[in-house]
Amino acid sequence: MRLTNRAQGDRTLILELTSMVDIVFLLVIFFMVTSDFARDARAEVSLPRLDGEQMEGMEEAGMYINLDEHGDILLSTSEPPVSLEALAERLSVYLATEGAPLVTLRADKQAPIVIFNEIVRVLEASGVSSVRMATEVPSRP
Amino acid sequence: MRFSMKQERGGKRLVMNMTSLIDVTFLLLVYFMVSTVMAKPEDRLTPTIQTQNQSAGGSDADFQPQSVDVLLVNGVQVYQLGQQTMQTQQELRQRLSGLPVDLGVFIRAGDGVSVGFTMAAMQAARDAGFKQVTYVPLEK
Repeated sequence: MRLTNRAQGDRTLILELTSMVDIVFLLVIFFMVTSDFARDARAEVSLPRLDGEQMEGMEEAGMYINLDEHGDILLSTSEPPVSLEALAERLSVYLATEGAPLVTLRADKQAPIVIFNEIVRVLEASGVSSVRMATEVPSRP
Repeated sequence: MRFSMKQERGGKRLVMNMTSLIDVTFLLLVYFMVSTVMAKPEDRLTPTIQTQNQSAGGSDADFQPQSVDVLLVNGVQVYQLGQQTMQTQQELRQRLSGLPVDLGVFIRAGDGVSVGFTMAAMQAARDAGFKQVTYVPLEK
């Protein structure tokens, strides 16, 4: 921001805002692009650090099942944990409305495998034949 | 934004009033800065799932050596591929690389192991070139 003082009879203060407005617009665009409004479905879990399938392109929306390190099943961050029975019910509602089921299992790397296996059994019993298991992409130096 | 014409020594000068535009832009900036959460990049592994009831058609020997058991042995998490026991994802990937990939591989996890260790086995299978990876939860 540059202040110019032009003395021409009366004094007029001119603020050169152009570069500041440019930067502010760039920041607005950056935050608009990086904002993720679908995060409500993704609970804070520590995913296994694995390369995964290295898929290109945008992730399609689907049903998210989060499993935290204590073995609690979360379907969204705004809801309390659900039981396996409740999960089966929610899953049947989801599968009834969606043609091609896209289920993403976001399990904490320290989560008990017993619950993980129970979720897989519920999914399989509901007719889901393959499940996306989320991984955290390791950062490269 | 408002345009107004100011008389300036004979000629006319166009003045853009940008105050409200800048106000709104700042409001947007503050909103996105506050609401944004920097998400860590995620990927996925997509195994086929199958319960043991479904796969009970054959004997256990039918799976070998194309099945990897993820087990807890003496308090240590290990991968078992046939008679071979491995402790790391790299070792498992090396062993799997020598197997025919067209037949697919079964990953079976029992009680006591972690999800991270089990998913590392799926990653090893994928890295070894297996297109068909099936996850089977072991019976309790």
